[in-house]
Amino acid sequence: MSPTLIPLSSNDMWILSPEIAMTALALLVLSLDFLIKRREIIAFVSVFGLAVPAGLLAWIESTPNHPVYGFYGMYTIDNYAIFFDFLFLLIGAGVVMASYDFVQRYMRSSGEFYALLLFSLLGAMLMASSRELITVYISLELTSFPLYVMAGMLRKDIPNDNASSVRSTEASLKYVLLGAMSSAVLLYGMALLYGITGSTDLGEIAVALQRGFSGGPNSIVLLVADTFIFAGFGFKISAVPFHMWAPDIYQGAPTPGTLFFSVASKAAGFAALIRVFAAGGLLNAGSFYLWGFIAIAAVATMTLGNIVAIAQSDIKRMMAYSSIAQAGYILVGFTAVAYQPSNQTGISGMLVFLAVYVITNIGAFAGIIAFANATGSEQLRDFDGLFRRSPALAFGMILCLMSLAGIPPLAGALSKIYIFVTAWQEGGLLPWIVIIALINSVISIAYYIGVAYRIFVKNPPREDRLRVSAAISFALAVSVAGIIAATIFFQPLLNFGVSGAQALLK
Amino acid sequence: MSWLLTILVFLPTVGALAVMAAPRGLSRWLSAVFTGVVFLLSTWLYIGPMISSGGNAAVFGNVSHPYWVDQAPWINVAIGSLQLKIDYHLGADGLSIFMLILNALLTFLAVLGSGNISKRQREYMALLLLLETGVMGVFCAFDLYLFWLFWEIELIPMFLLIAVWGGQRREYAAWKFVIYTVLGSAVMLAGILLLYFNLGSQTGVYSASFNWLATHHVSGNLTVLGLTMSSQLIIFLLIYTAFAIKLPMFPFHTWLPDAHTEAPTAVSVLLAGILLKMGAYGLIRICVDFMPSGAHQFAWPLAILGVINMVYGGLCSLVQSDMKKMIAYSSVSHMGYVILGVAAAVGPGATNPAFKEAALTGAALQMFTHGTITAMLFFSVGVLYDRAHLRDINAFGGLQAKMPRLTWIYSFAVLASLGLPGLSGFVAEYLVYTGSFSTFPILVGVAAFTVIITAGYLLWMLKRSFFGPLNPKWNGITDASILEMTPLITLAVLVLFVGVFPQFMINLLHPSLNNIIQTISGAVTASGR
Repeated sequence: MSPTLIPLSSNDMWILSPEIAMTALALLVLSLDFLIKRREIIAFVSVFGLAVPAGLLAWIESTPNHPVYGFYGMYTIDNYAIFFDFLFLLIGAGVVMASYDFVQRYMRSSGEFYALLLFSLLGAMLMASSRELITVYISLELTSFPLYVMAGMLRKDIPNDNASSVRSTEASLKYVLLGAMSSAVLLYGMALLYGITGSTDLGEIAVALQRGFSGGPNSIVLLVADTFIFAGFGFKISAVPFHMWAPDIYQGAPTPGTLFFSVASKAAGFAALIRVFAAGGLLNAGSFYLWGFIAIAAVATMTLGNIVAIAQSDIKRMMAYSSIAQAGYILVGFTAVAYQPSNQTGISGMLVFLAVYVITNIGAFAGIIAFANATGSEQLRDFDGLFRRSPALAFGMILCLMSLAGIPPLAGALSKIYIFVTAWQEGGLLPWIVIIALINSVISIAYYIGVAYRIFVKNPPREDRLRVSAAISFALAVSVAGIIAATIFFQPLLNFGVSGAQALLK
Repeated sequence: MSWLLTILVFLPTVGALAVMAAPRGLSRWLSAVFTGVVFLLSTWLYIGPMISSGGNAAVFGNVSHPYWVDQAPWINVAIGSLQLKIDYHLGADGLSIFMLILNALLTFLAVLGSGNISKRQREYMALLLLLETGVMGVFCAFDLYLFWLFWEIELIPMFLLIAVWGGQRREYAAWKFVIYTVLGSAVMLAGILLLYFNLGSQTGVYSASFNWLATHHVSGNLTVLGLTMSSQLIIFLLIYTAFAIKLPMFPFHTWLPDAHTEAPTAVSVLLAGILLKMGAYGLIRICVDFMPSGAHQFAWPLAILGVINMVYGGLCSLVQSDMKKMIAYSSVSHMGYVILGVAAAVGPGATNPAFKEAALTGAALQMFTHGTITAMLFFSVGVLYDRAHLRDINAFGGLQAKMPRLTWIYSFAVLASLGLPGLSGFVAEYLVYTGSFSTFPILVGVAAFTVIITAGYLLWMLKRSFFGPLNPKWNGITDASILEMTPLITLAVLVLFVGVFPQFMINLLHPSLNNIIQTISGAVTASGR
């Protein structure tokens, strides 16, 4: 192909319109911050501005026979991408609402935080839609760079912790260094893959791998490429053994940032991971070793996350390990997909689980942020007797934690059953992995109920009533309502996830 | 849809929210109203069909055709090779109806009997109501996944009730309860998945509906870790583990004495009266009915464990000095009857099906009997504990002089518990012994000693604390108040009524249990054992 300017069609612009709207919104928020330093307006614009890309998405989705591919197949807006795009927009709204007071009090910069958040989400949306390795990589970097800054944005110490702003800076530095390394690993893997197949387009890679290549399915080069790519995304989703950054950075970062890492980075990582491995045909071409590698990663991720979480005394560290464990459950679904790549069930299980996890985690972190706003503490022991200091906050938090623990009948339990069922029905070794996952669920009860135990059973250090601001109450209430709605109307969510999975493997 | 079951399940949840929203002072009255209404509605489960059928108990139906059904589609996926279907399917036949009414009654009485709870009363009442929702759901879920979901709802309320309002070692007891229960339900879920997919691939129909599972049994063998067993046996064991913990069956019983002893009175009542019955109900409804030949293969171990429960629980009771702990171990002993009865119903030998049904009826009646009588014992001990703040049997003595009313009702409960003819305990035990004798003659011979042991520890306890010379320390103790006597007398009337007219309960149970017996004999004949 000659290096001339490739003409773009209006279709390309149309399917990219949600992302364009997102860019405009982020720039608008940035300039608003520059022009008028009014936090309420900026937050308002950020949340309600998300309606524009959401509306565009809904419009595209509802248009029959809308173009699915653009930019010569490099970019797609299939149901899989739409599923994730909506998830990312939801994350945006949730995090902005949950961070409203915290940003003012401890970060002293509202506009920047929101603009960074929107840019990161833009990257995440691109990640879900990319069908080409370079685009995937660039989107990944666009997602990650704002995160590095957000981790270091704590400018003022939390009252009960004198070193918190220092730790925030440290977290930021660690995040940059480790993030850069993981990007390098990912790129290496992609380069190897390009070397094998001669293409960076996922569709062409799949075709090339299916056609056969030197070394065959057991080729060491392919296995190394798979492993490196998995490692690169594994960093984003905090899969063991690439999870080391999570606890330190979760603890050090300002809590709204932590919330954002735990949902957006994870969802984006999974979005790209699944697309590259499934649409790129890596799973089809993969050997038993690849499956074994993924299975071991899944088992190690959930087991380590759950066991180490029990010993934590800082709630953010605990939530970090909890999020590692949850990633492990999702990887159980991925193990099933790797086992039987043509099957869409495992992918739909992962999507549904991820969506419920996102909704729930926003609620749990909204509770933590509200608590930090009111008391200035993020230590687990300070949650003692929270129920008497603020029943509504305590109720919301307990509900979210129970859903994360997978206590029936909450949505967390349903999505967990669903993902386990999708894995179980593949047969072979999968039922054993599900049994390990079930044992893990039992272990996880210890720390999730442990927090509920502190909140409800223990005596509070002080009898005062905690003041919770309207914005964060709203975020928590929406999350709780979301969990209950996802419980009762689990079927529509499931249909959405299934359609996403089917689009991916068409 | 008749909506009655849905209302019974979710009205308590509404009540819990109302209690939390209402002012503190109202919580007790509000929860009494809600549980009272639920109880009154639950009686319609029995009365309604009886009126419409003109008194013919066959109308209650069985697991395939229950009288009460509430059904709506909930989750249904079919992509690739996966078919997952979870229906919101509630149903109630005779066996369910009688547990539902017992649950409604005992929760109502527990609320009435919780007058002494002053600490965080609002939360306490709300949790009792949430507990009621979970248990109601377990007794009328007619979809196996739905059953599992309801099974776990009870966990959190019970945990918090023990952990906040319990005695000295409440934290230990609460955590022990959680660990046992959660382990059990994880194993049960594995069993459910195994059953669902094996049966699905064998029949081509993926369904966890009770109607389907009761009429289509999984067959063939499974190899687990190089060990080949019949699928039914593996699934039976997996699912039964959860029920064995709840029952509790030896050797999974150790959570029970701790939980019972530490829990506040009304919670002990519910634990003994209702939560243990979830295990027994699951054993009869799910394990026996859906895996009949698996149960048949496990009949001998089941019978032996049941007898160990009876004798060992009784012996443990003998040596307790804490009254509540003694009743807790007596629960272990009494639940052994249920296990023995079920084992006899599925047991070997081509005995007359009438004997098998008698054993199963005895087991089911024992659920009711133990629920009501142990509730009475716990309520009585609660009355005593509120005054003396002691439960040590030897610390009392001659209380009958000061507390004639309590002594009267407590003696009644003790006599009912040890199986005095004319009271409901006798009917259940007699049916279990008679029904199982021809199947397990030697075991029943050993088990018969339980009767003596039971009489021993109960009467000895009664003698030491209530009769003999009055311990001067308790000169100032007052008798039970009218409010405290209300639940006790209600239960006593029920125990007496069922003892004298057991037939109406047996009629209620007959259609469901007879269906189960037929399933068992069909499966046993088919497998040629």
